[in-house]
Amino acid sequence: MTSLQTPLYNLSEFPLVYEPAEDTHLFLDALEKDMDNLLQIKPVTICEIGCGSGILITALASIFKNTCCYFCTDINPQACLATKNTALLNKADIECVQMDLTSCLKAQWRFDVIIFNPPYVVTEENEIKGNGLNRAFAGGKKGRIITDKFLKSLVNILSDNGVCYVLFLKDNILVEVEKIMQQNGFCSTVIMERKIPGEHLYICKFNKKH
Amino acid sequence: MKLLTHNMLTSKCIRGVNVGYPLSINASDVRVADVDFNPDFISRMIPKIDWPVLYNAVERLGHVEDLPKETPVNYESNEDFLKKAHHALLEVEIIHGELVCPESGRKFPINNGIPNMLLNEDEI
Repeated sequence: MTSLQTPLYNLSEFPLVYEPAEDTHLFLDALEKDMDNLLQIKPVTICEIGCGSGILITALASIFKNTCCYFCTDINPQACLATKNTALLNKADIECVQMDLTSCLKAQWRFDVIIFNPPYVVTEENEIKGNGLNRAFAGGKKGRIITDKFLKSLVNILSDNGVCYVLFLKDNILVEVEKIMQQNGFCSTVIMERKIPGEHLYICKFNKKH
Repeated sequence: MKLLTHNMLTSKCIRGVNVGYPLSINASDVRVADVDFNPDFISRMIPKIDWPVLYNAVERLGHVEDLPKETPVNYESNEDFLKKAHHALLEVEIIHGELVCPESGRKFPINNGIPNMLLNEDEI
């Protein structure tokens, strides 16, 4: 099995960026577990939405090196800088654009791999505002406002053989999401789950039905 | 920001903008990086690229050198061409400058190689 190392990072200059935590490590473990499948699709374009510290996409860049290009977005300007910094520390070459999800990508553009560790905490709707650290976790109703918006766009940004990995919390009611995605032409698989104090987390993989 | 990234960005998310592509470029700081060449990767990227948009962008930055205006036939086996495409797509980087919406004139600043495409709520 190809092992996925946790990249070097230093957020000391970026106090408004989400510090990698249990959810981040679950994501890395899930990507490592699914690596043989990822290698098999021979991706050329990899994208992370809401890159934060940038360690997830940098970890993928350390595996796929110059066989792929790496693109990521975050609404938080400090997260974009932090990701560039993490990439540099690990000698990866990652493009980062400050934007909301993938709203400024041209219609025909597709990615082979998309990863998203969304703001998944159930909060009041009015906490989803601004571009600060609250945006890294505040998910509004069911903790799904941002995830649902993203998943709605997935059909237009994922290549036909592509795969998308998203993190969910038990409170997000994943079965509801899986049902909607099924109707939208996607298969879904939970590839890893983990209980940590106060949270039950899942990594779900989506791909287009053929 | 690499010109590969420029090739995929639009300002269509602005209310009233239909296509928003390609974005114009005003660059004040352009650097040429040294990126490992992978002919197989570049060859697989070419079909995804809007070539005239790439050509015009690289020309605008004064780095067109002898990049062809059109992709040659059988480019997969044309290493000389793939190297030029690699250079234009991955090595020419805009560090500071701005992208401009072709329809509304809205400017998007690029600082430290990162374009800021975030819109205000009243623009969406």
